[in-house]
Amino acid sequence: MKNIYKPFKVEIVKIEEHSSDVKLFRLQKEKGHFSVNDQGIVFNPGQFVLVSNFGYGEAPFGIASSPFEARYVDILVRRAGCLTKALHQLKKGDQLFLRGPYGNGFPIDFMSGKDVIMVTGGCGIPPMAALTEYIIEKKWKFGRVYLIYGARTPADLLMKDNLEKWDKDIKVILTVDQPDKNWKGHVGMVSKIVKEIKVDPLDAVAAMCGPGPMMDALEYILRPLGVSDRRIFVNMERKMQCGVGKCQHCTVGDKFVCQDGPVFNFDEIDKAWD
Amino acid sequence: MELIIEKKKIKEWLVVLGKDFKVVDTRKKVLPPKQYFFPVKEDLFSFDLKSKKLKTIDQSENILLLISSLNKLEAMTQLDEIMEKPQKDFFYWQKRDKSVLVGIVDESIKVPYGGDLVLEKINQKEYRTWVLNSKGRNLLKDKFFKKVLKPRTINYPSKPNIFKEKLLDSELLAEAVEWSWQSNHKIWNELAEKCLGCGICTYVCPLCHCFSMEDQVSLDNSKCFRCRQWDACTLPRFSQIAGGHNFHKTIKERYYNWYYHKFVRAYRQYGKAQCVACGACKDNCPAGIKIGEVLKEIVKDYKKR
Repeated sequence: MKNIYKPFKVEIVKIEEHSSDVKLFRLQKEKGHFSVNDQGIVFNPGQFVLVSNFGYGEAPFGIASSPFEARYVDILVRRAGCLTKALHQLKKGDQLFLRGPYGNGFPIDFMSGKDVIMVTGGCGIPPMAALTEYIIEKKWKFGRVYLIYGARTPADLLMKDNLEKWDKDIKVILTVDQPDKNWKGHVGMVSKIVKEIKVDPLDAVAAMCGPGPMMDALEYILRPLGVSDRRIFVNMERKMQCGVGKCQHCTVGDKFVCQDGPVFNFDEIDKAWD
Repeated sequence: MELIIEKKKIKEWLVVLGKDFKVVDTRKKVLPPKQYFFPVKEDLFSFDLKSKKLKTIDQSENILLLISSLNKLEAMTQLDEIMEKPQKDFFYWQKRDKSVLVGIVDESIKVPYGGDLVLEKINQKEYRTWVLNSKGRNLLKDKFFKKVLKPRTINYPSKPNIFKEKLLDSELLAEAVEWSWQSNHKIWNELAEKCLGCGICTYVCPLCHCFSMEDQVSLDNSKCFRCRQWDACTLPRFSQIAGGHNFHKTIKERYYNWYYHKFVRAYRQYGKAQCVACGACKDNCPAGIKIGEVLKEIVKDYKKR
């Protein structure tokens, strides 16, 4: 009988400081590479892992690295509670434990052949980063691709190096709530952004990671563009303990974020009992 | 041909079985049989903080549970299904695989919905045997059981349970419960006033299986245990995430969520409500909430709408 709760050992091979309270951790398996799923990738963009730091507990994190990268996975950790504080004190070479990848991920087969609008804010960048990496690798499969990324201040924008790199292949649109004097991007999730987006609303899909920017993005960007709710996919966050559909913490209506999600069709989940 | 055991021999038979099993009489326990496979609190892993070695803890033992209620036997069948799908819960099955469930029931049985072996009272002195599987068959010792062609049988009717009949139409229950929330039925405000949010209904429920996991470190910082313990969806921090956001802020939402899980989500997931109408929640609720009555009122109003 497989022990679904038993994590495997990984080593921190790199730590990057991305903002005053967010660090990136690169995790490598003790031996060998991460295995490939039936799609030929290490995980589906949007899937997550449960990271254990024994003594402090276990929590879910979206994978931020490329799904084609089998040597390691990257996670972004914001200092929010006890476990994440403890993670921030670790150093390169320290060990952690991992379970997963879990969840469904974005419907990449449905999305291919279409224009894609990704909208996210603050700490919601990891699943979009993985999706962006996937799209860029399979560029010929997709139409026009946009990543709209908002943060509180310019200093809170994460994965800045990647944002620059991605901008060569897709259009990256940045926006902040509180600009500094050097800021050249947008301010707020505003309707002005719509003017920069040229998609065929009947053949476009949107991917969002909420909850922060979700409602504004809907009102000012996706609705004005005419993207139907059925073509919007949302990556959800809930309290999670087991990751395998048993503990009942992460439910949204009759669905489990850990197993049926974390990616849901917006039309379907919008009406669900929370 | 029926297999019969005399009432006075049951004790003796259990003593013999006691050589192979730890025999536990659950008949007077407040907490349901689930506690033996899914304990209130259990250590799953131990982790040596110095050597960084991770060990899986095995607390399973050959255990024989005596269960007197048909409802609770049925609940075990349902809980097995929950812990089996879509993936086996390792720590539950580690214990459950080594166990046998014996029903000793003082009412007449049409169909036993659970257990490995069930003894049914047929007259003042004798019990009839229902063997449900090989685990149960292995418990039969010739010395104590005899074959009888037509034993003297008295009917011991079960107590009428209107709620049990309601459960037969799980679809109606699911629709009614969901409708009651969407249409802002006044009952949820009334219940929010009453409910203490203590979680007792979930602890005594033979089917509730929410849990949380936590690491506990020894005082000398050498060892860590990953524990899992019962949680309750009515407790304030059940849906609260790091940073403080709570997806179910009010007791009204949390209390409704309990019903939603049992009667709506469970119905959609398994085709039946996660309830066996045993009445343990009602009997133990310190606020005196009668869950069966709540559902009766909701269904009545749903039909009238």
